[in-house]
Amino acid sequence: MNKFALPLVAFALLVVMFGVALKRAPDKQFVKSALIGKTAPQFVLPDLLHDGKTVDSHAFAGRWTVVNVWGTWCGECRAEHATLLQIKQEGKVAMVGLNYKDEDAAARDWLSQLGNPYEVIAVDREGRAAIDWGVYGAPETFLVNPAGTIVHKVVGQVTAENWRAQFLPLIEGAAK
Amino acid sequence: MVVTLLLMPILAMAIDPAPPLPDPVQQARYTGLIHELRCLQCQGETVADTPALFAVDIRRQVREMVVAGSSDKEVRQYMVDRYGQIILLRPQWSLANSWLWLAPGLFLVGGILIAWRVLRQRRELLATDLADVESDDERGRS
Repeated sequence: MNKFALPLVAFALLVVMFGVALKRAPDKQFVKSALIGKTAPQFVLPDLLHDGKTVDSHAFAGRWTVVNVWGTWCGECRAEHATLLQIKQEGKVAMVGLNYKDEDAAARDWLSQLGNPYEVIAVDREGRAAIDWGVYGAPETFLVNPAGTIVHKVVGQVTAENWRAQFLPLIEGAAK
Repeated sequence: MVVTLLLMPILAMAIDPAPPLPDPVQQARYTGLIHELRCLQCQGETVADTPALFAVDIRRQVREMVVAGSSDKEVRQYMVDRYGQIILLRPQWSLANSWLWLAPGLFLVGGILIAWRVLRQRRELLATDLADVESDDERGRS
């Protein structure tokens, strides 16, 4: 056997290994959610738009639900807002907002200016529900199936592209 | 290194505005734990070292759990359940990452084996070379 064969094979294996790792690493998803495949954490939080009322996450059982974590301090949230409005128009999911570490007044202004893509908005002033959901910034968006299991999460913007490529196949695939 | 370690509590105090816990044992556990958890918003730092929103919330959570009587293990597990292994700066042993822990040892053993084989081959070659020289000598004499 050629004496270079072994190092060459080892090198080729390394190249393949790194190649696969690079291909599989989706951009920005550096932290894969520990919660995918788990039951979505429940919360009861104040309702942003209805004083004195609460948002109870049990209300979403039985429907495909998108939980979108946002704040008015978050630039990327503004950037994804138009996409969220389109998703609402599409009407395939219940869209729930989790207003994360924000000011109520600022959040209400934001919605009246940019439009409201959410069915309800829960207020997580202190970020406690966010910890339960494994949130570490905004925007983060979860897809919860009718059985109440988290099936997907996007860290960073929801775009028309990742909505079509990552979310819709899960929803429509299950419908078949 | 020593200087950095000595400075760490001071830096942590500068960043963490919360007053120390009345119980010094709990305070020590709290300080220890927040130095073990990664700030996922900033990724290079522990939650003790940054005023990032995420770190503030995690510190509050750790503090509350310590005061409520959770063990260090329970606090770590609570964080791993929500954020995954990546939140621990000192990774736990698991089947999935065992090869990472074992790899250096395997490389060392492999290296020693290769070195041993090469040395033995060389000694054998040297021995046969000498034998050839000797037999040549004998042939020359006869």
